[in-house]
Amino acid sequence: MKSKFETVIGLEIHVQLNTKSKAFCRDSNLFGLAPNSQVGIVSLAHPGTLPYPNKEQVYSAIKLGLAIDSQINRVSTFDRKNYFYADLPKGYQITQDQTPVCVGGQIPIKVGDQTKLIQIHHIHMEEDAGKSIHDQNASHSLIDFNRAGTPLLEIVTEPDLRSGEEVDALMSAVRQLVRYLDISDGNMEQGSMRCDCNISIRPQGSTTLGNRCEVKNLNSMRFAKKAIQYEVKRQISLTQKGETIQQQTLNFNPTTGRTTPIRTKEDAHDYRYFPEPDMPPIVVSQKKIAALKAALPKLPWDYEQTFLSYGLSPKDSILLAQDLDLAEYYESFVSTYEQAIPFANLLINQIRPTLTGKINDYPISQEYLAQFLTLINDKTINKSLAIKQLLPNMLAQPSVSPKELVKAFSQEKDNNSNQLAETISNIIAAHPDKVKAYRNGKKGLLGFFMGEVMKQTRGQADPGASRKILLKALERAH
Amino acid sequence: MHKKSTYNIPFQTIPSVQEALRQKRISCEQLLTDYLSQIEKTRHLNAYVEVFATEALQKAKSIDEKLKSNQPLGKLYGVVLSIKDNISYEGHQLSAGSKILQGYQALFSATAIRRLLDEDAIIIGRTNCDEFGMGSSNENSFYGAVKNGFDESLISGGSSGGAAVSVQTGTCLAALGTDTGGSVRQPAAFCGLYGFKPAYGRVSRHGLVAYGSSFDQLGIIAHTPEVIGDLMQIIAGPDEYDATCLQTPPPDYHTPPKNAHWKVAYFDGILDHQGMHPEIKTAFSDYLEDLAVKGHEVTRVPFEYLDYLIPTYYILTTAEASTNLSRYDGIRYGFRAGQVDNLEETYTKTRTEGFGQEVKRRILLGTYVLSAGYYDAYFAQAQKSRRLIQDKLYAILAENDFLILPVTANYPRKIGTNPSPVEEYLSDIFTVLANLTGVPALSFPIDNKKGKKVISLQLLALKERENTLFQWFTPSH
Repeated sequence: MKSKFETVIGLEIHVQLNTKSKAFCRDSNLFGLAPNSQVGIVSLAHPGTLPYPNKEQVYSAIKLGLAIDSQINRVSTFDRKNYFYADLPKGYQITQDQTPVCVGGQIPIKVGDQTKLIQIHHIHMEEDAGKSIHDQNASHSLIDFNRAGTPLLEIVTEPDLRSGEEVDALMSAVRQLVRYLDISDGNMEQGSMRCDCNISIRPQGSTTLGNRCEVKNLNSMRFAKKAIQYEVKRQISLTQKGETIQQQTLNFNPTTGRTTPIRTKEDAHDYRYFPEPDMPPIVVSQKKIAALKAALPKLPWDYEQTFLSYGLSPKDSILLAQDLDLAEYYESFVSTYEQAIPFANLLINQIRPTLTGKINDYPISQEYLAQFLTLINDKTINKSLAIKQLLPNMLAQPSVSPKELVKAFSQEKDNNSNQLAETISNIIAAHPDKVKAYRNGKKGLLGFFMGEVMKQTRGQADPGASRKILLKALERAH
Repeated sequence: MHKKSTYNIPFQTIPSVQEALRQKRISCEQLLTDYLSQIEKTRHLNAYVEVFATEALQKAKSIDEKLKSNQPLGKLYGVVLSIKDNISYEGHQLSAGSKILQGYQALFSATAIRRLLDEDAIIIGRTNCDEFGMGSSNENSFYGAVKNGFDESLISGGSSGGAAVSVQTGTCLAALGTDTGGSVRQPAAFCGLYGFKPAYGRVSRHGLVAYGSSFDQLGIIAHTPEVIGDLMQIIAGPDEYDATCLQTPPPDYHTPPKNAHWKVAYFDGILDHQGMHPEIKTAFSDYLEDLAVKGHEVTRVPFEYLDYLIPTYYILTTAEASTNLSRYDGIRYGFRAGQVDNLEETYTKTRTEGFGQEVKRRILLGTYVLSAGYYDAYFAQAQKSRRLIQDKLYAILAENDFLILPVTANYPRKIGTNPSPVEEYLSDIFTVLANLTGVPALSFPIDNKKGKKVISLQLLALKERENTLFQWFTPSH
């Protein structure tokens, strides 16, 4: 049954950038090191220290904006967002409130078989805070400032999402995109990506937005989906009881699966945003923007289109566009050697499952893989034999072409069958009485002869071939 | 407050001290010993918060060694400086005149300090100041007021009061201070000295304890403009640690003037400004007359924003200060109040006990003008009026070489006779203009024919013409 209510969701997605240094100083921006080991005077907000913009953060933001067709603000400004918290060293966060670096744009997501465009309100740059740890000491909270000052991009969407599945799809699309652009590792588990979900409901068909609740800091897609599910149910049940929904900020507790209020609208922070006086506006030249644009890789949705045009199924197209290395690798193969579908199958079914490192480090050259496909195609070698025997051989000797491997293979096969015939005729000659008995109808003796063949070849002989030669020899001697 | 100083000033320029050292008329160690004994003699003035006697003497000895063995020396050998207690000097305490930074030791040196030390300058101690630079009398210091060397019952001026008195009383050659709204020029004026606030961005703010980020500049107080120019030559210029630094190379502060005739503007109506002491009014108008007699082109220009200077300045600086001072929360360094049960109490108790009255007043003011519902009425309006004031002043300075202004409308008052905060704020009227507009300003004492007291004026110029402020004082003038 279709619900009477429609879910409306907008996201604020935080992406931690993989720049070498922090957003506004030279402290290193590495994850997972000893607490408070990546902190200098600026990260800790010592008296007299000033922020200094990191160009790489600006370029990362512009790359992302260009990829999703945002309008790039050549001049963007920083603002201070003021609030007190123990893990916020300066007592304010440097962010972009008035003039963010990118405005507008859209990100395509997959909803079932359809593609839906999610409109982006803007992307802005900011810095992360440190991390408070409340559960390691009974009387005190501990703080790790390593994360303080880590460069972030915040992607703010329009309220275009309608379900937890769509949220999941958008987060996946963003993760894929930031990895394509090499601006973040996109790992949600490590906190490199997290989102705040603004959730509201409205009667189906309504065009006005209901009061929204913001669930903060969701750092896994599973939790995001659960939080949305819970929140939608809660809001519907309140509405059906005739109550109004309070605009609130909520936390999601993964253990209970419930959302709990952090604060209501009444005691919302007054962040006292104002222009950051310590940094002049960030100005990026048209030339630099053009250069960043020219250096953008082909994007996932473009690869998917290309692969569809090769005749691949949507599923395979998506799979091969999953990460940039694989997509580039596949496209370059097809543009040189064609065989789009056979190679897609080989890549998806044989190569990718055994891959331990990057596809570019795969030992067999594209030239030899093309030869390999040709050998199957012109029936030089049977497909299943090729996959079972030739491919492992190629992996073992990647510098030898598959043609040569096949040649050697069949020669060896010839040598082996001559040898086998000789062995068998010796066995026949050595057991005249058994041959006679066989010929007199004791067909069960075939087992004895097979046993002899195996014994003398130390089990190396191909049973099928042995049987064939053996039968022929026994019949012929008749 | 009589003009003649009773203090022995051993040297007034850098060449004179270096010549004496080279000719062995004095050793660097002796120079330091003399300065240190002068500090001891003037202890009661409360100019210094801490004296770095041992290490300064050590450094002096090493300079004597180098002199003796003809080793290369930096451009500032023999130059002994005091630094205001809001300038970071690695390994030394830094308190900005506040209890909240009690026991804090600086982990790095300000860019200006580093550049001076690299040229063999010696830092003799850190000087008393109004807490976080907030004040015009040096009475808002955790360490108490600084007494004026001319008359110990009078204020030194502020916020760089200790800096001015350290130079006035001959305890060093020059002093580094900071100037957010006149904090270098006004105490220099009250102590009969030259005070310079460079163009905004000329000297890196890296290592300056922030008060109003878009106003703060490091400044210099000395007996002569030559010393200031020589020191500027060393400390000015871009710095990778301060994004607001001017990216253009600094001017040559020693270029001789092209001509001796300047175009000098002064504000219409300024002589009749309310609260202007009659002697200062007379001295100013006599000075203007003198200039005209000497062949300078003196022009009266309209300026309709005089009454907007103080409100604009105090709204914007307190707004910036309210967030600049958020970092003093007792969590990572400095003073932390005891006996607290939670984070909120840590903040309130630490900041209530750690900050002085005036600092708290300005934090509250600044928080108010930035808060939702008041931002547009106060902060946004003040930003607009700042722009109008800037445009107007730039237009005046495009037509004229200099704008000339008194530094203060009045003489220094007695210590402990604090007027209301608003009256005190209004006394900054002539100095805040240079900070609101970012232009450089040099204050200088003038001969006062009628009275016996020191009166100072100041010259403002476009930042591109910063060096003309020094050319004004070259002998050809």
